[in-house]
Amino acid sequence: MSITINDIETEFYQPQTIIALLEQLKQPTIGIALAINQTIIPKDEWATYQVQDNDSIIIFQAIAGG
Amino acid sequence: MLTDQQFMRYSRQLLIAEIGENRQTQLLNAHIIIIGLGGLGSPAAHYLASAGIGKLTIIDDDIVHISNLQRQTLYNSFDIDKLKTEAAQKRLRAINPDCQITIITQRLNQAQLTKQIKQADVVLDCTDNMPSRLLINRVCVSLSKTCISASAIGFHGQITIFQPPYQHGCYACLYPDGQEVTRNCQTAGVLGPVVGMMGTLQALEAIKKICQIPSLLDSHIQLFNGLDLSWQTLMRSRSRHCPVCNHHPTNEGDNETTR
Repeated sequence: MSITINDIETEFYQPQTIIALLEQLKQPTIGIALAINQTIIPKDEWATYQVQDNDSIIIFQAIAGG
Repeated sequence: MLTDQQFMRYSRQLLIAEIGENRQTQLLNAHIIIIGLGGLGSPAAHYLASAGIGKLTIIDDDIVHISNLQRQTLYNSFDIDKLKTEAAQKRLRAINPDCQITIITQRLNQAQLTKQIKQADVVLDCTDNMPSRLLINRVCVSLSKTCISASAIGFHGQITIFQPPYQHGCYACLYPDGQEVTRNCQTAGVLGPVVGMMGTLQALEAIKKICQIPSLLDSHIQLFNGLDLSWQTLMRSRSRHCPVCNHHPTNEGDNETTR
């Protein structure tokens, strides 16, 4: 399936949960948030939420500075 | 009923259809708390004082440092080593003597923050660290107070509004780790115009809130990228197990997340 992550299109060959996807990408999970198709998915759902073909994912960091 | 002086001072915004005399009166009767008088709090306080917010409570325990002058627009070279609250109060009073400025020059604990926030209509989180943001969130949720929250680093900014009934969650829903990614000195700086812009937008959203003008930020977070001048608009979601806001009922019933 084809997924866009931060505007980069990537192919994955089987369905996955968000957590599995992040592991594959070697993306650390602390201090980040994630949206799929412009809606944020809370972190407590990452272990069960199934990513779909053509999903567009945005991963961004918590920023506390000001 | 506005005085002649007020008509002149606020004439440019009285001309705006969504403002007018009634809304200006609401601004004059409003009390806003600004926590943090740095890169965000400086422009926010300036624009809110100049727009005619009746009462501002400004909170910061720091003194002005030379490195602040790169972005903290309330201060100048003569303010170095002065308390930020005192320098800010002087500057804001000169901008608008009608604005009642209360200063708090200490880092508040939960009980003290609760006492202050209880008295305000809107809270602006203009702090620069995660523990403060988590505390402000806890207090605002417990008091059902609207919190306009922004942040910035490098070329990037974020802004959103957390408010009851927390249908789209709170700060702890968004960042449940309560931690940032570890950054080094090269990635921890910020550009003046970026943080200034985010603080300015906090002031804009506060004015809209007092004037009951709806905002996309009530349900969304906006991410600003200063490198390509682009915005990402993402709908926020309440976390079903959030220990902070979970006790607030939502429109759809207990613990339902709207998507």
